[in-house]
Amino acid sequence: MGGSFGLPQVPKFKNYITAFKLAPLAKFYLNSIIVAVSATVLNTSLLSMAAYVLARTDFKAKNFFRMMFAVGLLIPGASLLQPLYMTIKQAGLYDNLLSLIIVYIGFGLPTTIYVLSSYFSTIPRELEESAYIDGSGFFGTFLKIIVPVAKPAFGTAAVLEFLLCWNEFQFALTLTTGNKNRTIPLALYYFKSQYASDYGAMFAATVLVTIPSIIVYILLQEQVVSGLTAGAVKG
Amino acid sequence: MTKSLKWIIVFLTPATLIFLFVYAIPIAILFSTSFTEWSIGLAPRFIGIKNYIDLVTKDSDFIKASINTGLWILLQSTIHVALGVLCALILARKKFYWKFTRTVYMLPNIVSSAALGMMFLMFFNPTFGAVNSFIRLIGDKNFGHNWFLSSNTAFFTVTLIWLPFAAHITILVLAEMSSIPASILEAAYIDGAGEFQTSVRIVLPLMHRIIGTSTLLAATSMLQKLDVIMMTTSGGPGNTTLNLPMYVYETALRNNDFGRANTAGVYMIIIGLVVVKAINWIYRMDKSYI
Repeated sequence: MGGSFGLPQVPKFKNYITAFKLAPLAKFYLNSIIVAVSATVLNTSLLSMAAYVLARTDFKAKNFFRMMFAVGLLIPGASLLQPLYMTIKQAGLYDNLLSLIIVYIGFGLPTTIYVLSSYFSTIPRELEESAYIDGSGFFGTFLKIIVPVAKPAFGTAAVLEFLLCWNEFQFALTLTTGNKNRTIPLALYYFKSQYASDYGAMFAATVLVTIPSIIVYILLQEQVVSGLTAGAVKG
Repeated sequence: MTKSLKWIIVFLTPATLIFLFVYAIPIAILFSTSFTEWSIGLAPRFIGIKNYIDLVTKDSDFIKASINTGLWILLQSTIHVALGVLCALILARKKFYWKFTRTVYMLPNIVSSAALGMMFLMFFNPTFGAVNSFIRLIGDKNFGHNWFLSSNTAFFTVTLIWLPFAAHITILVLAEMSSIPASILEAAYIDGAGEFQTSVRIVLPLMHRIIGTSTLLAATSMLQKLDVIMMTTSGGPGNTTLNLPMYVYETALRNNDFGRANTAGVYMIIIGLVVVKAINWIYRMDKSYI
């Protein structure tokens, strides 16, 4: 009675060992790290360029591009399940970590562009003007002046994108098969469907899945909080 | 000028390519094939709006999934939002525990939903779960109710996995509250308003925009919940906890009925747009985030 409430008499790590033996957890972990790190780096670096252009330059189609990138906010990811699966298959990227990286960059696109471009537009224009006078080009100004100044916004976008990649489930399940290219949230599904009776190992796996998100959040929470609010509160 | 235009094009290209691949092409496939009969191995065959009519008239799973999704959207945009706002009003007093509470309350929103689903599955486990153990401890010695698998509690139990965790909203509202000029609150204090009156009459009306934004985020998130459902009930028992994402998944990848799955996808997008419009209208947000 009440066994669920007390602490175990002796802490044991046996369950963790079992968990690693039952499921290819190490492989899933490695895949998750590869996907999350590459998607985060590519998402922030590639999309910051678009965010900069939207925040700082004037051209005819600007509003069109702004609207286009915001479309992602209105499309529930699950509605694109089959079409995206189809597109990935046709592109020959099925069951390939690259497909997850590309899809996650896309899912983070509206947020990243929003967070970065609202930050870019608060940077005083004088900074860029003095860089131009000193003979710096368009790309040089972006790289040497804007990017360093906007570090906090990059931090926010990166944390949000990392958490998205680390936790994403439905496309990781749909776009991969077998065990070679699966990511860590699927380990839980794997346990649920195949080793449903080994609760200890199942819990160990749950802990292993959640710990990185919790650590990232606790270490960088001011970053996340300020980013979430900077985007939505301005009005 | 032309030189800077060249740079603009270069800077927009990567984002545009990603957009085309992840959104534009799939959306085009989604809409065009929603008018076809299409299953695995066969070419899509145009059948007009037959899928659209069949789904809402004949497909009881789709109807149930839409009702459930609608109900969850409603619950999330009322109770969930209210909880988040209430929590913000309490934490805004900045008592010693506020930062700790804010962090802990946020954790369920930060971890993978699959893990959250797993934890609730264990929490409500009929034989050794904490809930049933507790009930056995305080009363019924033989209590062994299966919360997720019995059709009269499944919906409620699944709802508990997302309804209480409104820390996103708390954070948004807290941030907006810190931008209220102190003079307004002082004026209320001088006029003799108590803490409750200040919250209800002064703070909440000033918060209506951010509460609107929070409602939008909360409501639209209900069109994304596949992982939690898959980890716990898979939509069952029967179809009592089926939602639209789960319906799309089942139809596309288990039954391989692509045409119908994509029609359901279009319906999901339409429901999303209607919800966004309605919330914008209710909260009178002329220019909103989404």
